[in-house]
Amino acid sequence: MRYLDGEMSSDERIEFERHVASCDDCRAGMREMAALERLTGMLTIRDPMDDFWERYWKSIFRRLERKIGWILLILGAVMIAGWQIYHAVTDFGRITFGKVALVVLIAGALILLVSVIRERIHQYRTDRYRDIMR
Amino acid sequence: MPVRVNETSAEIAKETLQAWKDGSVRAFEEIVRITMRRAFTVALGITGNEEDARDLSQEAFMAAHRARATFDIERPFFPWFYRILRNRCLNFIRSRSGRREISVDVLVERPCSGETPEGSAIRRERAEAVWRAIQELTPEHREIIVLRTFQELSYREIAETLGISEGTVMSRLFYARKALYGLLKDVCEDPDGEGDDRA
Repeated sequence: MRYLDGEMSSDERIEFERHVASCDDCRAGMREMAALERLTGMLTIRDPMDDFWERYWKSIFRRLERKIGWILLILGAVMIAGWQIYHAVTDFGRITFGKVALVVLIAGALILLVSVIRERIHQYRTDRYRDIMR
Repeated sequence: MPVRVNETSAEIAKETLQAWKDGSVRAFEEIVRITMRRAFTVALGITGNEEDARDLSQEAFMAAHRARATFDIERPFFPWFYRILRNRCLNFIRSRSGRREISVDVLVERPCSGETPEGSAIRRERAEAVWRAIQELTPEHREIIVLRTFQELSYREIAETLGISEGTVMSRLFYARKALYGLLKDVCEDPDGEGDDRA
């Protein structure tokens, strides 16, 4: 294996070649592996188009963005719920915390909305099959 | 154009890794752009399907981003990331065992000048046979074949990536190739193939 993979030093190679020349089993094994190496060596994995890689990162970014949106949305909802409970129990009538929670909630919803709209626009522009009736 | 994936974690600057750990999305983007081809190719080798490879490698990047606090910037990025990616791919294969869809057009032949259409068709057939055979190997054998044959990593790099010794790399690679040869014996011994291998 190391011989075929070029992982041997020149001294090791010479010694190995000497051994293979006098060993039928090793020679047969080498022939098999060399044939396999020739077969796999002429193949490679196709590189997708540049467009694929551009979309690759954007898709990760969108997922990140949405996650932040969801976190803010859920956080806001929890805050509002907490505030409502607190308000119901104590009836202080102070709404400052409620306003903050509402802003967080709206920010989260806006991020999600913008992200979805942007993806839809991008999909519409790049969808080659949009004119095909489903 | 065929992919030859040779980005290494050494190309990711420490400053970038630190910025990423501190939460910079721009640094994260740079890391993804440097390693995405390699991540995708590894996932493709393990899953055998282009769409699954894309989704799983993207999910692995997301998971890595979430776990960035545990990453040590003194160590190379890709081996650390690879463990996340590999676990995802293997879990996915386990959950879908027996229902895998293999993309057959992901392997391409290296350019070969002066080839006849017939020769080209034979090479295409053989490429598909090789890809299907690789997909029949165990996941452990499959991943080591992909890392060595298609990513062209050295034994040392494979050992670092998989977190195993070079000795284990050698023995695993040996058994993987033995198994692959067993599946491709007829194709390897096809005398018609010999002629145009190195044309």
